[in-house]
Amino acid sequence: MSMMRREVAWRIFADELNNSSLETSGDDERSPSYIISPLGAKVNRVYAVGVLTEVDNRGTPEEPLWHGRVSDPTGTFFISAGRYQPEAATALSNIEPPKFVTVVGKTSTYRPDDDTMLISIRAELVKEVTEEQRDYWILEAARGLKTRLEAMAEASKMEEVSVRELTALGYDPTLAEGIKKAAEHYQTHGLERYWSMMGDALRYVLPEYEQADTFDRPAEAADEGLTDRVLDVIRELEEETDEDGVSYETVRDAVITREGISMSEFDEIISRLRRHGKLLEPALGQIKSAY
Amino acid sequence: MNEKELAPHIEDINRALKGKVNSEQIEEELQKFRSEYRISLGDAKRAIVKKFGGDPLELYLNPEKKINEIRGDERSLDIKARILSLQDKEIEIEGKPKTIFYGILGDDTGTVPFTLWEAKSLDLEKGDTVHLKNAYANTWNDQPQVNVGSMAGICILDDHEVPPFEREPQQCMVKDIREGMRNLVVTGRILSLEKKSFQTDDGEKDLFSGVLGDESGKIQFSAWHDFRLETQQVIRVTGGYVRSWRGIPQLNFDDSAEVETLDDSEIPSSDVLKDSSNMTISQLARRGGAVDAIVDAVVIDIKTGSGLIFRCPECNRVVQKGACRIHGKVDGEADLRVKGILDDGTGALTMIMTRELTEEVLGYDLDRAKELARDRMDQDIIKDELEELMIAQPMRIRGNVTSDEYGLMLVATEVKFKRIDVEAEARRLLDEVSV
Repeated sequence: MSMMRREVAWRIFADELNNSSLETSGDDERSPSYIISPLGAKVNRVYAVGVLTEVDNRGTPEEPLWHGRVSDPTGTFFISAGRYQPEAATALSNIEPPKFVTVVGKTSTYRPDDDTMLISIRAELVKEVTEEQRDYWILEAARGLKTRLEAMAEASKMEEVSVRELTALGYDPTLAEGIKKAAEHYQTHGLERYWSMMGDALRYVLPEYEQADTFDRPAEAADEGLTDRVLDVIRELEEETDEDGVSYETVRDAVITREGISMSEFDEIISRLRRHGKLLEPALGQIKSAY
Repeated sequence: MNEKELAPHIEDINRALKGKVNSEQIEEELQKFRSEYRISLGDAKRAIVKKFGGDPLELYLNPEKKINEIRGDERSLDIKARILSLQDKEIEIEGKPKTIFYGILGDDTGTVPFTLWEAKSLDLEKGDTVHLKNAYANTWNDQPQVNVGSMAGICILDDHEVPPFEREPQQCMVKDIREGMRNLVVTGRILSLEKKSFQTDDGEKDLFSGVLGDESGKIQFSAWHDFRLETQQVIRVTGGYVRSWRGIPQLNFDDSAEVETLDDSEIPSSDVLKDSSNMTISQLARRGGAVDAIVDAVVIDIKTGSGLIFRCPECNRVVQKGACRIHGKVDGEADLRVKGILDDGTGALTMIMTRELTEEVLGYDLDRAKELARDRMDQDIIKDELEELMIAQPMRIRGNVTSDEYGLMLVATEVKFKRIDVEAEARRLLDEVSV
C-alpha cells in the first residue's frame, strides 16, 4: 500500500542550510526534491524560529511577493511568500520587524551557475512567537545538529558509508540516506566548525551570554586581512555598477583571481561577512556591502 | 557500495553476458561506473552488458527467486508463493474507481507484501499457491514488496509446489511487531480485555480482544479461543500472527497458539506501562500505526476546518457556507475541533482533537466559543486563537495512530503543553559535548 507522506520539517540552523550545495531529485517527476546539507539533513521542508529583520515587497502592489530575512544565531534564512502562499504572505506583510517569528516552508533553490546554490524558503506559515519559543527552537535545532554530527562521525569511520550500518546504529533511515549522500559529496573533514557552531548557538540561550560575537573564533581572526580585502573588492565593484549590489559570481571571480583562494574559502568568507552584518543580500544572488 | 552489496548485481550482469566475462572484470567496471562516474546502478549495469557485447534486455529476465532473495529493485521477477492474506481496496486512478488487491505472500524462506494492480480476470483466494511471472519489486519503508502489474502473468499451482513456511517462533518486543509477521512469541501485560460473542456457521463463538503492553509499547490483540485471560495478567503468547487494521498492527492468536501465565514481576505494572509508549513519528510511520502512542512534537500548522465548525445534523459532515456537501442547506450543529500538523523533526502527521480537548486548550467551552464568534461576527477567531495557543509550542500528545493512503493520523486522547527548562537543557547539552 503506498502512502502519501508529509515531508518532515527540519530544525536546521541557517548556516548549515545555506552551506548546502547538493540537491537530489526523486526517481520520477512526482517525487519531491531534497537539499542534502553538509551534515546529511535531507531537507524539503524547514521549520525555523528566529528574528525577522527585514520584510519587503518585491512584487507589485496588486500582486505582492514578500521577501523576508530571518536570523538565527548562525546566519540568515531567506524567506518569501507570494500568491501561492496567501496566508504566509498576509502574515509577513503585517509583521513589523524586528520580531520573533516561526517560519514553516519548502526549500527552493537558485543556481546562478554550476558551483553556486542559493537557498530560500517558500513560507507556508509565518507567525509571531515569543523569545521562549525561539530559545526552545534553538535547543531542538542543536539536538538535531548533534545527532547529524555524530552520524557523520560514525560514517567517516566506515570504509564505504552504508545506510544499513547507520540504521543498525540507531539512526533514522531518512537521515542515514542523507548522511551517505553528504559523505559522498562534501568534504567530511572540518566538522569541528559545526561542533563549535552548536556550542555557540546553545550559549546564546544562556542568561550570561551578552551580545558578544562568539562567532569570532581564533581561526577566523587570522584571515581578518583577507576578509577586509574581500569587502574592498565588493565596494570597488559596486562603484562600477548602477544596480543595487553586485552579483555573487562577479565578486567570486574577482576575489578568486585576485587572492588565489579556493571556492569554499570564498564561500566561508562571504557567509562570515553576512553573519557579521557587513554584507547584505538585496536579492537572491546579489550582494552588497552594508556601509 | 561494498562488495557484498554489489555481488547480486555482478551476478545479474554475469548472467546477461552468459559468463563470457569474469566477475573480477565486471566488478572493476561496475566500481568504475559507480565511484568514478556516479552512474546509477541500473544504467551502469546496462552499459556494462552492452560494452561486452551482451543484450541489456537479458538483465531483466530474472530467474525464479525465493522471497528472501527479493532485493526490491527487480524489474522482472518470477516467484512461486502462497497467498497468506488477501484484501481488496478501492482506489481512484485518473478519476476512475478501480479495485486492487493487496496482501502477503509467503514461501519457505519468508514473507513479502504484494499488490495486484490488475486483477480483473482473476479469482484468487487466501491460501492459493501461485506462480507469478514478470512481476516487479520496489521498496516501501525499506522493505521489499512485490507488484503484479499488467505485464505480469499469474497461474495457480498445486499446494505442494511451495513448501510451507516454518520458522522457529521469534521473540518480539511489542514496538517491533509488523504486519504480516507469523509464529511470534510476545510477552506482555493485559491492560484491557473485552469479550464479544458472534454467530458463525458452527454456532456462537467468543472473541476476546484487548490491549497488551510491554516496556516498548502497546498492541491490540484478538484471542480467537478462550484462554481464560484476565486483565492485569502477564502472559506469553507463542504462535501469534499479525494483521493490520488501518495501519495498526494487531496481534491475533487462536487455539493453535500457546498461552502461558507468567509471574507478575516479568512486566512492569500498568501504571508504568501507561507512559511507556513514547515513539517518534518516524517510528510510527515505519510501523504504520499504534495504540495509545505518546508523541513529543510541535504543532506547525492548524488546518482550515479547525476551531468553531458546524456539522450537518444528518451526516455529521462539516458544513461549509451553511450547506452540507450531501444534504444541501441545513441548520448546522456547532462543534469544536482541531485538525493540525504535528511534526517532531523525524516525521509529520495529522492530529485530530475532539471538542473536549479543544475546549481544554482554549480554556472555555463551546457555548462561550459561539458567543465570542457572534460578538466579533467572525467564526475564524477561534481558529486564530488556537493557532496563537498551539503553534510552535512543545507538546506531548497521546492517542491512537492509524494510517491510510493520506498518511498517518493521530486522534488525540490527551494533549499537554510541555514545560521545558531550555536553559538547563542547553547547559546539559553543552556539558555533554564540551564544545
